[in-house]
Amino acid sequence: MRIVVGMKWVPGTTSVRIDPKTGTLIREGVPSIVNPHDMPAVELSLRLKDKYKGEVIAISMAPPPALKGLEYLIGMGVDRGILVSDRAFAGADTLATSYVIAKTIEKINREIGKVDLVIFGQETIDSSTAHIGAQTASWLNWPYIYYVHDAKFVDSKFVVERVLEDAVEEWEVELPAIIATHMKALKPRPVRLINKIRYKVEKPIMTWTNAELKLDPRCIGLKGSPTIVSKTVNVPEVPRKKIVYTPKSGEDAAKWIIETLMKDDKASKVLMKYLSMEGEAQ
Amino acid sequence: MSSNCNICPEWDCQKLEDFKNVWVVGEVDENGITEASLQMLTPASKIASKLNTKIIGVLVGYNVKRFANQFIEYGADEVIVLDDERLSMYSPHVYARAIAELAKDQKPAVIFISATMKGRELGPYVANTLRAGITADCTEFDVDEKTKDVLMIRPPFGAILLAYIKTPTRRPQVGTARPNVFKLPPRDPNRKGKVIEVKIKEIEKPKTRLISRKMLPISEVPIEKAELLVSGGKGLGTIEGFNMLKDLAKTLNAPVAGTRKAVDMGWIPHEKQVGQTGKSVKPILYIGVGLSGAAQHTFGIREAEVVLAINNDPNAPIFNQSDYGVVADFREVLPALIKELSELKNKLKAKGS
Ligand SMILES: Cc1cc2nc3c(=O)[nH]c(=O)nc-3n(C[C@H](O)[C@H](O)[C@H](O)COP(=O)(O)OP(=O)(O)OC[C@H]3O[C@@H](n4cnc5c(N)ncnc54)[C@H](O)[C@@H]3O)c2cc1C
Ligand SMILES: Nc1ncnc2c1ncn2[C@@H]1O[C@H](COP(=O)(O)O)[C@@H](O)[C@H]1O
Repeated sequence: MRIVVGMKWVPGTTSVRIDPKTGTLIREGVPSIVNPHDMPAVELSLRLKDKYKGEVIAISMAPPPALKGLEYLIGMGVDRGILVSDRAFAGADTLATSYVIAKTIEKINREIGKVDLVIFGQETIDSSTAHIGAQTASWLNWPYIYYVHDAKFVDSKFVVERVLEDAVEEWEVELPAIIATHMKALKPRPVRLINKIRYKVEKPIMTWTNAELKLDPRCIGLKGSPTIVSKTVNVPEVPRKKIVYTPKSGEDAAKWIIETLMKDDKASKVLMKYLSMEGEAQ
Repeated sequence: MSSNCNICPEWDCQKLEDFKNVWVVGEVDENGITEASLQMLTPASKIASKLNTKIIGVLVGYNVKRFANQFIEYGADEVIVLDDERLSMYSPHVYARAIAELAKDQKPAVIFISATMKGRELGPYVANTLRAGITADCTEFDVDEKTKDVLMIRPPFGAILLAYIKTPTRRPQVGTARPNVFKLPPRDPNRKGKVIEVKIKEIEKPKTRLISRKMLPISEVPIEKAELLVSGGKGLGTIEGFNMLKDLAKTLNAPVAGTRKAVDMGWIPHEKQVGQTGKSVKPILYIGVGLSGAAQHTFGIREAEVVLAINNDPNAPIFNQSDYGVVADFREVLPALIKELSELKNKLKAKGS
């Protein structure tokens, strides 16, 4: 089977700083990484390849530094990478991004070979919209199943397992289809030296610009994006009492906590209610 | 397509003034419309009054008409029902296309969908099929007074910044919000409203089929429902440390939650993670132990009424996000606190019996 897997190259730190003057995120000097939530998607694609043969193609719509991310995925065992990169794609919201991705998949389908399955990650850590999977499926009119943590063929039917808040479900899915993984789905395999050598020798990554994709400029970048960010502000703080106590001992702390909570109208009520409950909630 | 409409040829031309009303899409289970969907009536009512338009509940499925009144009781003015046997089994792409079809026909200005796990699967499919903009996981909605565009407000990165997102040239404007970000509006059993049954010609054949569903054990109170919640972080150090927190929870009869690092350590499952990529919770009392108070975490406790924190670092950011803070090692505080609470509990029991 031929599997396409989506990868986003994202700022890697959790301690992102804000420029106090402009109120925007400081991204300079922040090293980028493969979006961690894409790793289970890559791992699932490689497991399917291990089992059923075929090829895995990683795609990323991004500026050229994302080549590094594709290189990493090749190191894990992905067969080839396609960087989809053009200034004309800049400023895209998820609708315009998914359009380019859908058209890339169509081009792979036409020129490289039939795509059976596309796997995305749960969401990206820099925007965490979880839009791209469903939107790409909508452009292609393919079925879509989200929060997948396993996939296999059963009697030549493709079956995926996914989790919801309160249930685990098995779905039969007609291919071609798009699925997106759950972020805790699978532990990714490490990079292997042999794959890195292959990378050096074969150079299995290509770049497609809009000269190759030939998309209408009105459908991509800013023009193809119905949503715009009109402004950003700091997250307003929730007003809290901020009473801080440094106790002399554990007992002192315990006494202070109970006294303090008992003086608080809301806290004392709920505390009494829970303490008088029979049995355990957990 | 009219020639004066110079947009992507994959989109249809629109006259913005044709679009009216605020839709809330209802996710349905055996008991009716989910609480998460009904919560979306809260922002819908704010936006509908600012736009001077109606709130319309939308029910799509089979045998769902019987639930229409729930929408009305919680604040919808009308309900549109697409009740069709061909929709007897939920299939994301089929439902999404059906909802999109209805929206093409009825032209809502706004569509709100709860970002439950199914909602996050369905919402972007609906929006994209309409070639409409969508904003995920909003924490607030408003209206631009001048242009009357809806402002979708969300934290784009790490819950530090809020972005105001709008869709000035396309309709409908689609937005989602996580469960519990908005409160359930009060129910009024006497509220009346029109229920309109609609049909659509084509309903696609599903390309996905549910073959089994195993309910996860729900012996535990889901953390988003708890009024008292105990929560731990990396600072608990080891599973033994975390078990100490569990003992506190047991004494309090309260469920246990935690930070992402607690999940990463394997101390609690992901469905008990509080925060931006976990759940928003709304307990009356939240007790956070050995957690630093990262923005992504405290994002999930905005609706908590009282926050108590125990952390041995006086500079931990959590103290700025708490009502009551104790600067101490949890290993000293928890045993003493458990002891005191147990005594209190026994006293209450003795009084009660
Ligand atoms: C896009 C994105 C999304 C995220 N989403 C979430 C999310 O949904 N939820 C979430 O929780 N995090 C999330 N995070 C991670 C978040 O940034 C923090 O890394 C995480 O919340 C920190 O967890 P913690 O407080 O358990 O650990 P730490 O930050 O390591 O804090 C541990 C604390 O324990 C204290 N401590 C240590 N020893 C003791 C002791 N003996 N007694 C008392 N206190 C002690 C320390 O002083 C410290 O403050 C997200 C990050 C990103 C980038
Ligand atoms: N620019 C991109 N190029 C390729 N894949 C992407 C891109 N952006 C997002 N994805 C994929 O879509 C998933 C969801 O992303 P998002 O909708 O941004 O949360 C990610 O986990 C990736 O697998």
